Amino acid sequence: MLPVEIREELQRQIIAVEHPRELAVDVMFALQDHYGYLSDVALEEAASLLGMTPLEVEELATFYTFIYREPVGKYVIHLCDSLICWMDGYASIRDYMCQKLAVKLGGTTADGLFTLLPVCCTGYCDRSPAMLINRKVYGNLTAEKIDEILEKLKAEA
Amino acid sequence: MPKLAIDNREIEVPVGTKVIEAAERLGIMIPRFCYHPALGSVGACRVCAVKFLEGPVKGVQMSCMVDARDGMVVSTTDEEAVDFRRHVIEWLMLHHPHDCPVCDEGGHCLLQDMTVSGGHGRRRYPGKKRTHTDQDLGPLIQHEMNRCIQCYRCSRFYQEYCGYRDLGVMQSANRVYFGRQEDGTLESPFAGNITDICPTGVFTDKPSRFKGRRWDYERTPSICLNCSLGCHTVVSARYREVIRQEARFSASVNGDFICDRGRYGFFYASIPERPRQAAIDGKAVTREKALDVVRVRLERIARQSGTAAVACAGSLRSSLDTLAAIDLLSRQNGWHDPSFWMDRCVASRVKTAASRLEADTVVSLRQVELADVILVVGADPINEAPMLALAMRQAWRRGARVVVIDPRPVFLPFDVDHLPAAPEEMVRGLGVLVKRVIEREDVEQLGHEALSFYDSIPEMPLSVKDRLEAVVGMIKDSRRPIVVCGTEVVPDGAPALAADFSLLLKAKNRSPGLFYVFPGANAFGAMLLPGGQADFEDILAAVENKTVRALVLVECDPLRTFADRPRLEKALASLDMLVVMDYLGTETVKRADIFLPTTTVYESGGLFVNQEGRLQSAPPAFKGGLSIKVAGDGHHPPRIYGSGMPGADPLPARQQLAALAGSPGPVEGDAARWEWLVDYLRLRDFLPAVDDFPEDGVRVLAAAATAEHFGMDWDATLNDDRTGGERLRLVTVDRTFGTEELSGYSACLDTIVPSPVLFMHRQDAERWGRVDGEPVVLTTETGSVKVALCVVDNMRTGMLILPRHHSLDWQLLGEGPMWIAADQIQKAEHT
Repeated sequence: MLPVEIREELQRQIIAVEHPRELAVDVMFALQDHYGYLSDVALEEAASLLGMTPLEVEELATFYTFIYREPVGKYVIHLCDSLICWMDGYASIRDYMCQKLAVKLGGTTADGLFTLLPVCCTGYCDRSPAMLINRKVYGNLTAEKIDEILEKLKAEA
Repeated sequence: MPKLAIDNREIEVPVGTKVIEAAERLGIMIPRFCYHPALGSVGACRVCAVKFLEGPVKGVQMSCMVDARDGMVVSTTDEEAVDFRRHVIEWLMLHHPHDCPVCDEGGHCLLQDMTVSGGHGRRRYPGKKRTHTDQDLGPLIQHEMNRCIQCYRCSRFYQEYCGYRDLGVMQSANRVYFGRQEDGTLESPFAGNITDICPTGVFTDKPSRFKGRRWDYERTPSICLNCSLGCHTVVSARYREVIRQEARFSASVNGDFICDRGRYGFFYASIPERPRQAAIDGKAVTREKALDVVRVRLERIARQSGTAAVACAGSLRSSLDTLAAIDLLSRQNGWHDPSFWMDRCVASRVKTAASRLEADTVVSLRQVELADVILVVGADPINEAPMLALAMRQAWRRGARVVVIDPRPVFLPFDVDHLPAAPEEMVRGLGVLVKRVIEREDVEQLGHEALSFYDSIPEMPLSVKDRLEAVVGMIKDSRRPIVVCGTEVVPDGAPALAADFSLLLKAKNRSPGLFYVFPGANAFGAMLLPGGQADFEDILAAVENKTVRALVLVECDPLRTFADRPRLEKALASLDMLVVMDYLGTETVKRADIFLPTTTVYESGGLFVNQEGRLQSAPPAFKGGLSIKVAGDGHHPPRIYGSGMPGADPLPARQQLAALAGSPGPVEGDAARWEWLVDYLRLRDFLPAVDDFPEDGVRVLAAAATAEHFGMDWDATLNDDRTGGERLRLVTVDRTFGTEELSGYSACLDTIVPSPVLFMHRQDAERWGRVDGEPVVLTTETGSVKVALCVVDNMRTGMLILPRHHSLDWQLLGEGPMWIAADQIQKAEHT
């Protein structure tokens, strides 16, 4: 169940715009932030808030990389697999991450901390290879750097 | 008009025509997937590439996205364009499962055609194919997403064209997926069309799966009989069975699509339960024996009680041949006037409506799409004539405003101003509109009757006027207003008033249209018959006072369609003889003393006149007989040698009638029969020769007697204002699925038909202490019915709306109009 404050805030925003659909992405992110991912329940709630059908919201939700329709870990790691990062070592970064976290691309670690996903170009090409973790970007990746980052995040969790 | 050259051939086309369409007019079919004339161009598939050599546009461009302009020189055969298309096809085929041998689309697959014509033959892509999990979309549509080439036709049709919101396109990149949010039956009553427009085998027809391939079928053009619109279909038959029905393009009627009620409404023709053998007292006999017995008994009854002791009744699902045969034979033999109508009031409204359709104001279904204001009076398009709702939506998409004045909880897949109004309020409301939209000066030119009609329009209470104010403005500003008027729920004066309104709009220099919705497939056809007509109640009364002793029912099921079953049962029991001829295994057939099987439209063909007076012809689709599947009972058909076909006893109704009552014109020979029918119905002046029959039929308006204009009797209408006080007025109605006779025999629609409900307004429900979803028993003087209550907000208060669901014995409630008191609705006991 969505807390009343969040629901009412969203309703306020929706009423203020001309077409509720304009706020679809914002509503989806708000619900995702609350639930951890955009679950089926969250999808229905988003639909009812926006006056859209679940299908219409699903069309948008599944289109966007950063809307998760399946449960994700506390930290979602997005590895850039586009051209520059790929040239500069994406494949070995990926293999290292998969080995270190003991997951495949798309998987979540057993402790529920990390989910490993690809992403297309984030525009950090001058500091490739790069990755995003919960919307924070990390560039010039090396194995050591990755170890550092993951340790820090584990500690903060 | 732009003139351009395509492949060295010149053509001149209207402004706005796309190059791909211009080429098609020249007979050049440029490859296409995403382009569809009804859906427009999106330029998604890239396969319609052509080379522009001269003119305002140069180079390789998508022919569906470029408007034809003067001086363009286009080549479809240019090497660069050919190469481009070959690569596009190869690219589209990358993920394709290449499962033609097991795919139902085989033989009518655009992808097959384009791949071959595109020149792609050898697969060189060694990578993995993306695959999808399919969904269960219900009993009508099979889903196979691996075959998708992302043309977007389905989601564009489903959402943009039809306005339904449960199928769309999800995901992105090579994971793009067309389907629902989760498994479930598609909500749109036009969903079946996606099996027609999908260019690959993603959406295929489920009921006809595993039954054959396109090249196995005998395919014949036909006309849909499941409502009065007369949409065009194509029938596929194989092994003496109708397997599938698809939409057939009609420039005037249905355009490219049909509704699911029509598409899947044909199963009655081939189900094993269809009665194919003549019977006496329920026991199978030869046709000759049955006919003998009928003849003998008819003769005896005529001798004993006079020829008028025999009455014949038909229905509106029969072809013109059949109706004419009944009409002529009744007269020739001195029988009681025949009946084709179950409801006297509906008959009189249809008669008025048919006689008021004039060349000046009549519009076809397709023309409804061009209206800028549509005023719907007493019609519920999605339930009565679904394709009308679709045509209205296209008008709405172009900016038209739509107003519906009707008591029912009307739903339409677009924004509508719905004014819930009781029947008499509709007429008053129309009166207000006439008075406010039309100026007196406009009326003067139409003469004395028009003026006195205008002047006598009574003033209305303020509350009603207020709500109509916006509508007044709309119609005043319109250029092409269309008045749609139903004939079931409206009061008697409505059809004439609608016609008068359209005439007055014409006097006001608009281009108005008049569009009626009729019951059944051939209501207008019944109007053309020259003989006198009774209605079924007349015949019943005659049976009750013993003037009629024998009843011949031709393709008519009064136990199902007549609104007072107890009265009917008594009358049937008192008859000396009941003869029934039909192709449906109805209750009435089971009661027959003598039964004679008749053929369906698929076997004998037929002529039907739709609601705009358009006479259309459906040729026979196959010879008839028992399907091989049934004859063989799952195995090879019996190896019995002989001529003739099993199950060939059914004859066209007119032939059965001829055999027992004298020949209604020539019985054999299409041309001779046609000539006779044309003369009998006095259609000679309107019709071409039979082999010249136009594809879109021909309007036979003037053949229906024209009634007087501006003859509205306001006093009578207003005095007819029935208010029930505390009581609710009960009205029985049609639904998209579950009430229409023929489609009721389609098993594949069973899970789509909603459960029977009784609609009641929330205010009335609260007043009477009733709850949404509650099972109740509705009792009248005649009988009672158990049904679930559905409480809604968007219907007229003071009314009860009961759809005539197949499984509901609504006929036990008796004939209307009926006013129901609170104690007549009780909570149902648990059974």
